[in-house]
Parts: sequence; C-alpha cells; structure tokens
Amino acid sequence: MTDSAFVNTYLLGACIVLAVLILLSIVRAIRGSRFTDRIVGVNLVGTMTIIIMCILSVYFQQAFLVDIAILYAMLSFIAIVVLTRLVIVRRRGQEERERAEAAEREAAQKAKEEGSAT
Amino acid sequence: MIQTIIGLALLTLGVFVACVAVIGTYRFHYVLNRMHATALCDTFGLLLSLAGLVVLLGFTWQSAKMVLIVVFMWLASPVMSHLIARAEVLTHTHIEDECEVIPFERRV
Repeated sequence: MTDSAFVNTYLLGACIVLAVLILLSIVRAIRGSRFTDRIVGVNLVGTMTIIIMCILSVYFQQAFLVDIAILYAMLSFIAIVVLTRLVIVRRRGQEERERAEAAEREAAQKAKEEGSAT
Repeated sequence: MIQTIIGLALLTLGVFVACVAVIGTYRFHYVLNRMHATALCDTFGLLLSLAGLVVLLGFTWQSAKMVLIVVFMWLASPVMSHLIARAEVLTHTHIEDECEVIPFERRV
C-alpha cells in the first residue's frame, strides 16, 4: 500500500512542511533573547528532525534510517542534559564561593571587634 | 485503502501539532511559556506522526523501532524540560518579575 505514488507525494509534502518549520525554529533560536530560548529552539529542531527521518525511512523503504533516528533522539537528549547540567553546576559553585567569602568576611569582622574590645 | 487513509490523517495531525508548537514559540514572550508550546511537539506531535507511519507500515521491525522512539522521547522530554527550566530559574537575575517563585529547601 505504501508504494503508491499518492502516498509518496504526500510523505514528501509532509517533509517539506516540517523543513519549513525547522527553518522557522532555527530563526527563533537565533533571535532568542536568552540562552534557554536557544536551547528550546534546538530541542524543537531535534524533535522535528526525528519525525523527518522516520518519514524518509518510509519513503525510501530503508529500515536503517529509523536506527539513525533513535540515535539522533539519544544524541539530542544527551546534548541538552550536558548543556544545562554545566550551567547548573557552575551556578552552584558560584553560590558556594559567595557563601564562603561572606563567612570569611564575617569571621574577620568578629576578630577585629574582639581585638578592639581588649 | 482504509489503512492508508488513517495513516495519512494521523501524519497530517502530527504535522499540524508541530505547526502549532512553532507558532507558539513565536507568540509567547518568555522561555517558560515557550517551553509549554514546544512540549506539545515533543510529545503529541511525535506520537501522532509516528503512529501514522506505523499504521502505514503495518506490523514490522521498522514500526517497532518507531514505537521505541516514541517511548524514549516520552521518557526523555520531561527530563529535558525540567533541566531547561531549572537552568533558567537559576540564572535569571529577576525571576520574580516573570513568575512566582517558591523557595525550596536546598539539598546538601
């Protein structure tokens, strides 16, 4: 049933629509005001690329393209986890450093007050 | 014949949901609102389009792998959304202007 000309044309049309949507979300990722906007745009591109790969695997009757789509899903997941994890860990380290500096300053202040009292 | 019609209808619905997601990223003006729209494409768009392709293909290994992709993305997408939202809340300097933030007990 899938080898009729109408179904093939329809699948190609869906691919073209998704390609236009990918271009639009790349524009969104470039225009995004914050870095999380860009990450969200890249996430959208990844999901639509997976859909396009699955459609093409039906269009070309090639089963291996679905394997590549699985790989792409895992890759986009890993990329986003690594990017956001990096930001979170860096931010946490910064907060800890600030807290340590504040404690140090407080201790120095206390020592100075004790010194002036005696 | 009925198989082809159902498959193509599901595929069309999936592409429509992807359109809605991209329009949503343009209509909203803040990241946490935009994530609301993109989660639609991650879950429902992927499920509908791949369900349409599975109906077109029938019962093969290829369609089993497509089901595997849907299961993986449904497990991974909430994790990705959570991490992106957490990075946003941690790095935004005036998060209180955008939304209400409830401070939580910090893990050691």
